[in-house]
Amino acid sequence: MSPVLIILAVLSALLAVTMLFAKSPITSALCLLGVLIMTAGMYGMIGEHLVATIQLVVYAGAIMVLFIFSIMLLNLNNEETDYKDRPLVFGAALALGALAFAGFGVAIWNHFQAGDVVVKGKFSPELIQTLGGNTKVLSHSLFTQFYVSFEVISLALLVAVVGAVVLAKRKFD
Amino acid sequence: MDMDTIFPFAQLAAKIAFVVGLSLGVVPIMVWFERRGSAWMQGRVGPHRTGFFGLLQPLADVIKFFHKEDFTPRNANKFYYHLGPMMALIAPLCAMAVIPFGSKIIIDNREVVLQIAEMDAGVLFILAFAGLEVYPIILGGWASRNKYSVLGALRGSAQIVSYEISMGLSLLSMLIIYGSVNPHDMVTWQSVHWWGALMNPFGALVFFISIFAETNRAPFDIAEGDSEIAGGYHLEYGAMKFALFFMAEYVAMIMASALISTLYFGGYGILPGMQIIIDAVIAQFGFGAAGAQNTLALFQVLSLLSKIAFFMFVFVWIRWTLPRFRFDQLMDLGWKILFPLSLINLVAVTLGVYFYNS
Repeated sequence: MSPVLIILAVLSALLAVTMLFAKSPITSALCLLGVLIMTAGMYGMIGEHLVATIQLVVYAGAIMVLFIFSIMLLNLNNEETDYKDRPLVFGAALALGALAFAGFGVAIWNHFQAGDVVVKGKFSPELIQTLGGNTKVLSHSLFTQFYVSFEVISLALLVAVVGAVVLAKRKFD
Repeated sequence: MDMDTIFPFAQLAAKIAFVVGLSLGVVPIMVWFERRGSAWMQGRVGPHRTGFFGLLQPLADVIKFFHKEDFTPRNANKFYYHLGPMMALIAPLCAMAVIPFGSKIIIDNREVVLQIAEMDAGVLFILAFAGLEVYPIILGGWASRNKYSVLGALRGSAQIVSYEISMGLSLLSMLIIYGSVNPHDMVTWQSVHWWGALMNPFGALVFFISIFAETNRAPFDIAEGDSEIAGGYHLEYGAMKFALFFMAEYVAMIMASALISTLYFGGYGILPGMQIIIDAVIAQFGFGAAGAQNTLALFQVLSLLSKIAFFMFVFVWIRWTLPRFRFDQLMDLGWKILFPLSLINLVAVTLGVYFYNS
């Protein structure tokens, strides 16, 4: 593993922890942005440039802008002072989190103990290189093989947009 | 260490140094040109006492900026307040990494592609960093804890988010024409066929207008709006922190000019008539294959730089010609005119390419 990858991983883990424990919502949102950028950097370091780019365009460039925009518009400046420590709830959440984390750990451990049982798809990095790169292969399979599911997902998004407009309009009328 | 290990790092470092040096080195020239050019367009004299033709004026400005008090507002959120100007400069500089400045040069039998990052995501990478350009405005405006700054930040971010859509759609129409996201393929396509702006004039126009909004240049400088909201998102910034925002604007302009040139005006493809000069130079000095390629690459870099210089001039020209939009006019233009126009253009281009190919 390259040292840059390790630095990115450590930084993103640190930012994720900061996001969880920060008291101001804007710090949490910006730490999440940092995690997303670091993840994009990791994708880039392992040579998956398209995934890195999409990570930046969709998550860092669109969704996080919306998050930060709404946090600033709602003016949550007082949130920091109103924040109350509730040790019981926090302890319970921490215990549940630790349980889930342990479960993941066991699952990953079992997976590595079982050896190479992954069912490999037809694409290998070498094949993708000969077919003309990730962008080309992904776009091609998206618009031929997975055409219907692609359209259905965009329909679902359209339903979500229309639903949001209807709900918001009823509230303001 | 032998040459084979050093060479990849050395050529990469040289390319990064060239691009960063170019982006930052153009800033003083542009500051000078902005002031002299605006004076020229308005029938004034402009700064002319510092140095020859006022050419040392940017240097005087820099010295002035360094001697100002480095002031931080008492109520500002210190960390985010300082993060804003840094992010402003990072995003456009990163986007420059995928702009190709020429095809390739050959040094000692090794090929060097004149582009920092050769990635298969290509031009999409620029969109990723164009999306990050909204953060410095939000952060700077919000962290200053000033009503006018917040107003400027909200206006600026609403503008950038709105115009990003029409920019993306007109970029998409070009990707359909070229059939590739690789900037080298785009330049090759344009040198074989016509320039992209001639193939897709509406797309070029929409892209050109949108990129003005993305770079916050007049007539879209509504985020600053000095006559209405005093200075917008960088109102509370002084000294070199303001200068960073100022530099970021020019670096974003260079990035935008390079992007327009690559997508719509032939990129590093040599200007018409240049082939004669190249042939004459090669014949004069009797270059071999490598020498010929290097000469070609030199002229390609010159072509791209002259195109960038032209668009930088257009940026200044438009700024001092058109008045600023009102906020509702700006939103109407973005959502009711450019967005439908770019969508219709995308459909038309798709149909055109489909029938041309079938």
